Amino acid sequence: MSPASPTPSPATPVVVRRPRLTSGLLLLILLVVLAFLFDVALGPVRIPVLTVARHLLGHGAAADTATAFIVHQIRLPKALTALAVGSGLAVSGLQMQTLFRNPLAGPSALGLTAGAGLGVALIMLTSGSAASALAVRQLGLAGSWALVLAATAGAAAVMALVLALAARVRDNVVLLIVGLMVASVTGAIVSLWQYFSAPEQIQEYLLWTFGALGGVTGPHLAVLATVVALGLGLALTSAKPLNALLLGENYARSLGLRVRRSRTLIILSTSLLAGSITAFCGPIGFVGIAVPHLTRALLGTADHRILLPGACLLGAALVLACDCLAQLPGSQITLPINVVTSLLGAPVVLWVVLRRPIRTAA
Amino acid sequence: MPHSLPSSGRVGGTTFTFWRQPSGWLLSLLLASHLGGWSQARVAPPRPPAPATRPSQAATPAPAGRTTVQYAKGFRLAYVGNYKVISIQNPFEPQAKVMRYLLVPRGAARPAGYPDAQVIETPLRSLVALSSMHVALADFLGSADLVVGVGSFKYVSAPRVRQRIAAGQVYEVGQGKELNNELLVAHHPDLVMTTGSPGEGIDHFQTLRAAGVPVLINSEWVETTPLARAEWVKVLAALLNKEAVVNQKFDAVAREYQRLAALGHQATKKPSVVVGLPFKDVWYVPDTDSYMAQFLRDAGATYHWDRVKAPSGSLALSFEAVAPVALGADYWLQTGSLSTKAALLAQDARYAAFAPVQRGRVFNNNLRTNAQGSNDYWESGAMHPDLILADLLHILHPELLPTWTLRYYRPLR
Repeated sequence: MSPASPTPSPATPVVVRRPRLTSGLLLLILLVVLAFLFDVALGPVRIPVLTVARHLLGHGAAADTATAFIVHQIRLPKALTALAVGSGLAVSGLQMQTLFRNPLAGPSALGLTAGAGLGVALIMLTSGSAASALAVRQLGLAGSWALVLAATAGAAAVMALVLALAARVRDNVVLLIVGLMVASVTGAIVSLWQYFSAPEQIQEYLLWTFGALGGVTGPHLAVLATVVALGLGLALTSAKPLNALLLGENYARSLGLRVRRSRTLIILSTSLLAGSITAFCGPIGFVGIAVPHLTRALLGTADHRILLPGACLLGAALVLACDCLAQLPGSQITLPINVVTSLLGAPVVLWVVLRRPIRTAA
Repeated sequence: MPHSLPSSGRVGGTTFTFWRQPSGWLLSLLLASHLGGWSQARVAPPRPPAPATRPSQAATPAPAGRTTVQYAKGFRLAYVGNYKVISIQNPFEPQAKVMRYLLVPRGAARPAGYPDAQVIETPLRSLVALSSMHVALADFLGSADLVVGVGSFKYVSAPRVRQRIAAGQVYEVGQGKELNNELLVAHHPDLVMTTGSPGEGIDHFQTLRAAGVPVLINSEWVETTPLARAEWVKVLAALLNKEAVVNQKFDAVAREYQRLAALGHQATKKPSVVVGLPFKDVWYVPDTDSYMAQFLRDAGATYHWDRVKAPSGSLALSFEAVAPVALGADYWLQTGSLSTKAALLAQDARYAAFAPVQRGRVFNNNLRTNAQGSNDYWESGAMHPDLILADLLHILHPELLPTWTLRYYRPLR
């Protein structure tokens, strides 16, 4: 965090009120469980909570195939996806904010989201002209592996570029600028393709950018869950280096931290999380920026050993809650998840920015 | 946009079916359907059995050299002295500007009055068709050779026009912002026909109008029935002085359509149908005022959203809202660009639970897709609602048309 950040002085990260942290984490776990249950219980089709519970426990009426289908094939995968997305994005956002010591950094700061978008656009927008790619489209795009692979490849390409640059660039601020510029260039390429694409292709791409938690089922969900678990695992091992990085790179180095190696691990973890989530669900905004701030405010600590699981839980709870809202209980419509998270997230970012003491040139 | 006409989706892997809208407004549309749709979707009053298959006026034979509009609500055609007046408006926005076009014999003076109207000299000797449906209009009237330019070569199916494209006799002018004004001004066709909202879009064509190239904005997408959409061919017929041809050919299509629709209405069994292909959480289904809903009514189908109205012509429903209907449906129609069951399941394995998939009753309307990927359903199909209805009847009620061979639909194997 920057020196003016509202978080407690990082010099004494661990000396905090333990009981508050424990109760805070417990509260978050409770929130996640509640939000998960709500998410599975609510939806366009009204199903009594008890019926949902029976189906979840495997005691649903066998004849009621529609309800079973909705609970097991639609709501449960969607809630699990929300869980993975929320925890993954929040943790990657937290890592980026600490690494770049910038409260407005997020998973998209490295250009990863833009890279994934570039991969998707490559398939969706340019395939009309390439006869060979037509075969890819025939396989069915939405939710297909082609899309996931393209997005992953795009994110990975950007990640490779950023990692290569990270090895050369010592200054994290420069790295942040590099990420933003990569995002800008990829965005421009996508715009160019859109300009020359048929409206139907643009529609398709536009829908992808709205983000969606649905449609990630079966093997897709398994892959997403595995990659997110891997990314979260890597992130948790980075808790101590992240604490040291809070003090600045030079200080961290003097503490004996191998800064370059830690930085690589952090970037790798973020790339896995943001890349896989964007690949499967589209770019989902603001969770990555907003949740770390909320977590710090709620838990009142800057210790990443607490913050990482905290952000993980709060992110999951938040995305689950957003998904409940996106389904507009009682209506047949689902709002794009990206719209809901941004509507909630933007005010949070505003709040964070505005409540910072206004710094005059020191 | 190229091939915008069907205003719906033969989108690669998905079907975004904006059943009536020109897809150029996709942003506003998507936003409207996502943000506004849920508050505005409402249940329409029950409709009489089959109003749209009945002509809106008594079908009196038109005088020689004239034709009358019987189904379409978006345009009017008047014969005044030696010229004709075409008025195009949006019936859903009565306050919106009505666009007038004066069809004047070549060389005759501009009639007095109508200060805002564009003058088009008839009969046309050349036509630039920005949308593939306009190619179909010309082809239907036996005037495919008048098509000298198209929006995009990729989206043309008509064999005669494809031949002419191969022979280098047709130029490609692009669409929307990419419209090649210089090429058009240089060739100076007798008319550029495009699709859009009456009144709104004409500003985009200031350059052409200044150069004296007339631009006619069709808005066949406002129509709510297949016959009304097809009847827009009378606009081109008036421009070509081919009223006699259109009276004979369109009436034949309308008679056949109504004969088939009567069969569909009499069917005692009404199989249930789901339409379209979801994209993750969203499943766009046609609303009550879409011509697709009318097709289903006339084909003797049960359609779950038959009476639900949406502002954009299609309902953006969540997957969960449609899935229970799809699970128990008899048939599933129009699965985007997918042509095989394997591709369908590759997109989302959950479709395997849908009854139509299990019973092999999934049909797509992309049988006539050419090497360029252009689907003739949106081109010649727009002029042949009778053939499409026959396909649907054959699919939904095999006993009614046992010997019919599918023309536009194909089963997913």
